[in-house]
Amino acid sequence: MNRALYAAATGMAAQAQTLDVVADNLANADVAGFKRATATFAALGDGLGTAPAGVRRLFEQGKLEKSGGPFDIAIEGEGFFSVERDGRHAYTRAGAFARASDGTLRNAEGWQLAGVHIPADATALDVAADGHVFVTLADRGRQEAGRIRLTEFAAPERLQSIGSALFVATSESGRARAVSPGGEHGPKLVFGALERANVSIVESMMAILGAQRAYEANAKGVQAADEMQRIANNLHRG
Amino acid sequence: MDGIELMAGAMHAAQARLDVSASNLSNVSSAGFERRIAHATLGERGISVSRSVDRTQGPLERTGRAFDLAATGGSFFVRDAHGHAIPVRSASLTLDANGALLDEHARPLLGTNGIVRASAGATIDAQGVVRADGAAIARLRVTPGASVESGFLERSNVDAMREMVDVLSAQRAFETAQKTLSAIDEARSKDVNDVVRVKA
Repeated sequence: MNRALYAAATGMAAQAQTLDVVADNLANADVAGFKRATATFAALGDGLGTAPAGVRRLFEQGKLEKSGGPFDIAIEGEGFFSVERDGRHAYTRAGAFARASDGTLRNAEGWQLAGVHIPADATALDVAADGHVFVTLADRGRQEAGRIRLTEFAAPERLQSIGSALFVATSESGRARAVSPGGEHGPKLVFGALERANVSIVESMMAILGAQRAYEANAKGVQAADEMQRIANNLHRG
Repeated sequence: MDGIELMAGAMHAAQARLDVSASNLSNVSSAGFERRIAHATLGERGISVSRSVDRTQGPLERTGRAFDLAATGGSFFVRDAHGHAIPVRSASLTLDANGALLDEHARPLLGTNGIVRASAGATIDAQGVVRADGAAIARLRVTPGASVESGFLERSNVDAMREMVDVLSAQRAFETAQKTLSAIDEARSKDVNDVVRVKA
C-alpha cells in the first residue's frame, strides 16, 4: 500500500473542491443577497491525507447598494425575509420585490413576501426602518399597507440552500423566530437598496491561485510516489 | 550491517519521508493542521524513522466571522465526548439549534461556567468575553496569558514549498539507495559467478 500516493490524491481532490466552491461564489458575485461559501478540510487519520469537513456558508453582511427597483429592500443586520410559494416557506436576504397583479409583493421567482398587501391604486411606496410599509393612495392619502417582519435562526449557517439566495430551515438551524426590525440592537430595513453578494472578486482570484498552486504541489507528490513505486518494481533488473 | 540491508533500510526511510510530506501537503488547506516531521536516524540496526509533530503556530487568516476564533499566546477549551476539557488554538465554531457553539468536530466551546450558549450576532472580545446585544453573557475558559482573536482562524502550518522540496529530496534519496543497492548486488553476482568459473 502506497500511503503517499493516496494522501497526495486526497490533497488534489481537496483543492479541486475548493476551486468548485470559489467558482460558484464568483458565478454568483452579482446576485443580490447571495452568501459566499467556503470548503473546509481536516486531517484524515494519521498521515492518510485530508478529507472534506463540509462546505460552510458565510452570512457576513454584504454591502448595501442603492438600486432602482420599485420595491427593493435591504436588511442591515441579522435575519431573513420570510417568503412563501405554493405553501412552502423559505428565507432570503435578496430584497428585490415587485407588486404582483394580486397586490402581493413577489420576487422574480414568484416567492411572496409575507405581511404586505399593496392596493392597486397606490402611487408611492416606502418602507420604514422598522418594517412598516406605507403607500400613498389617490383618494385617501398615506396609508399603512402592512409590516415586514424578519426571521432569525439560532444557527443560520445550518440552513439549507435551495437557490442562489434562498434558504429553508433544517432541524439543525433551529426554529424560525420572528423579529421586528428597527430595535436598538436588532436589524433595520433600508428601502431603495439591495444587499450585494458578500463575494470579493480579488479574494476569490487569490483563492483560485492558491488552490491551483496547492493542486500542483499535490500532483508532484502523486508523481513522486508513483515514480518510487516504479523504481521498486524494477529492482530485480538492477 | 550488510550493504544491501542498509540500502533497503534507506529506501524504506525515503518512502516514510515521502509519506509524511505527501500527507502534510494534502493538509495545506486544513485549518489548524500541524505538520508532521519525519526523522531518519542511522543506528546499529540500520536506518530507522521516527515522527514528531511541529507545534509552531500557523499564520492567522482573517475570515471576518465572529465565531472563527484563534488564540495567540495560549489556548481556549472545548469539551470532548468524554467530558474532558481539550485545549485548542483555533476553531471555526457554528451555533447548533440550542445555541451551543460547536467546533469542526462537534465539540462544544467551554466557558468559565460550562458550555457557552450564544446567538447569531454575539461577539467575542480578546479577553474571551461573549456579548449579546452589548451585555456580557459568558466568558471563555482560556489558558493564562492567552488572547482570543475573533474573526481569525489559524491556518495549517504547512509550507507547500518546503514540503515539495522534501518530496523531491525523498524521491532522489530513494533512487540513490536503489542504485547503490543494485550496484552492490551486481558486484556480488560477479563475485559469485567468477568463483564458480574458477572452480569449473
